[in-house]
Amino acid sequence: MTDTTPLVRIDGISKSFGKTVALEALDLDIAQGEFVTFLGPSGCGKSTTLRILGGFETPDKGRVILDGQDVTKLPPDRRNVNMVFQDYALFPHMTVARNIAFGLELKGMGKSAIKARLDEIMSFLELDGFGDRYPAQLSGGQRQRVALARALAPDPALLLLDEPLGALDAKLRGQVQKELKSIQRRTDKTFFFVTHDQEEALTMSDRIVVMNKGRVEQDGTPEELYFHPASRFVAEFIGETNLLNGQVRGMEGDDVIMDWHGQTLRGHVAPGRKVAQGPVTASIRLERLGFGKERPATQNAVQGRVIGATFLGSRMALDLQVEGAADATLKAYVDTTTGTSLGDGPVWIGWDADSMAILND
Amino acid sequence: MTRGNRIFMACIYWAFVLYVFVPLILMILMGFKDSKFIGFPIRSWTLDWYTGVFNDGAVVSAFGYSIAIAVLSTLVSILVGTWIAVLLEGRKFVGRAVIFGLAVMPALVPGIISAIAFRIYARGLGIEPGMGAIIWAHAVHNVPFVVLVVMARLSTLPKSQLEAARDLGADPMVVFLRITLPYLIPAIVGASIFCLLLSFDDFVRSFFLGGYDPTLPVLIFAKLRSGMSPEINAIATVALVVTAAIGIWAERFTRRMNKDSQS
Repeated sequence: MTDTTPLVRIDGISKSFGKTVALEALDLDIAQGEFVTFLGPSGCGKSTTLRILGGFETPDKGRVILDGQDVTKLPPDRRNVNMVFQDYALFPHMTVARNIAFGLELKGMGKSAIKARLDEIMSFLELDGFGDRYPAQLSGGQRQRVALARALAPDPALLLLDEPLGALDAKLRGQVQKELKSIQRRTDKTFFFVTHDQEEALTMSDRIVVMNKGRVEQDGTPEELYFHPASRFVAEFIGETNLLNGQVRGMEGDDVIMDWHGQTLRGHVAPGRKVAQGPVTASIRLERLGFGKERPATQNAVQGRVIGATFLGSRMALDLQVEGAADATLKAYVDTTTGTSLGDGPVWIGWDADSMAILND
Repeated sequence: MTRGNRIFMACIYWAFVLYVFVPLILMILMGFKDSKFIGFPIRSWTLDWYTGVFNDGAVVSAFGYSIAIAVLSTLVSILVGTWIAVLLEGRKFVGRAVIFGLAVMPALVPGIISAIAFRIYARGLGIEPGMGAIIWAHAVHNVPFVVLVVMARLSTLPKSQLEAARDLGADPMVVFLRITLPYLIPAIVGASIFCLLLSFDDFVRSFFLGGYDPTLPVLIFAKLRSGMSPEINAIATVALVVTAAIGIWAERFTRRMNKDSQS
């Protein structure tokens, strides 16, 4: 968060649809120029937040401040926010140029100004020459760019994107992710992106807000969320992980000492957070485990054996069994050379305290 | 399907086609017969009946009268029907089903009953029989078709398009004029043609509510009472050609519009 005034301040908004609670007292600041992604399963409240920002829903409680102005009750046509819709919502009876010019005309811009802006935005999004076509004559990727151009053309303070990559095929999606990120950098626009796809969120965002059941689970950079998930939900929703159920024995500084199947392990918590004694879950990413014939120098080390190995090309997925504890299993990714050299014999598995996150629940 | 079955089905189909078209073809043929008596054999051909029709002031004015009534009642039906459809589609409110039912019911009331009811009611209100009364009755009868056709089209308009337009700065009125209405054009054109044909074709309502001037069907009816004449065949053929041309054009037009607007 920057120390200047945020572009958007979401101040305690709640929203229910009948008996279903979609959002519960959400607080959030978004800085100018940020690429913020709301990530979560369907029904987590991410789309409701987006629709409230766009003006399509009014929150039951709370306020939305945009650029210092309270816009909570302002209809969509009177706020400086534009949206890229999931189905693009291009107007089928208008050409590409008419679609993109729609918002400019309604802003009351003159003919020549519209023409200039149209040329600028169309060349920026590599749509030159498509102006006279109809949406039905475009490919999925082209339609997506037209939708983006139409939303960016009126120069909104905030751009909302509602799963705009969902309709693209997997191959194109990767390319569009990069494009979108680069467009956001070059325009220095604030993007509010909503998705249920964790990979999309990780590759594009400056900041990810993980939502679950109408609440924020965690708010941080992609790296923070990946390596230091705060909760079991985040750990499982983003990437693959080992969840270790153990008992907290105590704390040493910011390290948590826990017992896991007779092994004493050290884990990481956010600075200043205290963890009480009792049952706890820790998360360690699959690629963070190291292997050796000798006891490694890492803070955590257990002895085990490989009970299964799957060849995945550049890397291998290993199933491991900790010595002396039938229930204690781990999964790991290693490079193929290391993987094949391990064999079936006993092996040391090591990892640092910092890479093992102690979860909230 | 076996070969025998196929032939059997084909026979039924062609029997149906003949049943529909033979009377029409006979009617057209008799209009060109150079004799006052309808029936075979046709010894010589003539266009006299047609020139007679176009020179018959009563026929020409009845034709114009029918077209004027059709156009005006269609305009009223389209305005009212589209308004009701936009009001009802995609909205939930108390009494929606009742409003829908009331709007659609006139299509189900037999013509003779509604015609008599209109006649009594119009007299009660002091409305004279004539053009206004006929237009009123035709419009009421045609509104349900407009409502159904326009609602069907409206239900396929993605809500996101309306939201996108709002998002880009359009107020509800601009959204309606620039997004909803263009989307509805094929349905409105289709419904208009249907209304025009229904109104042009109507006899019962026009008969009961008409004043001194007859509409074309009423005129034909009056002429029939004084005996069958090839002039009537000529009138009917002209009417058939005009309505068929409009119908075919409308069908092609709406199909093209629908194809264009698919994204």
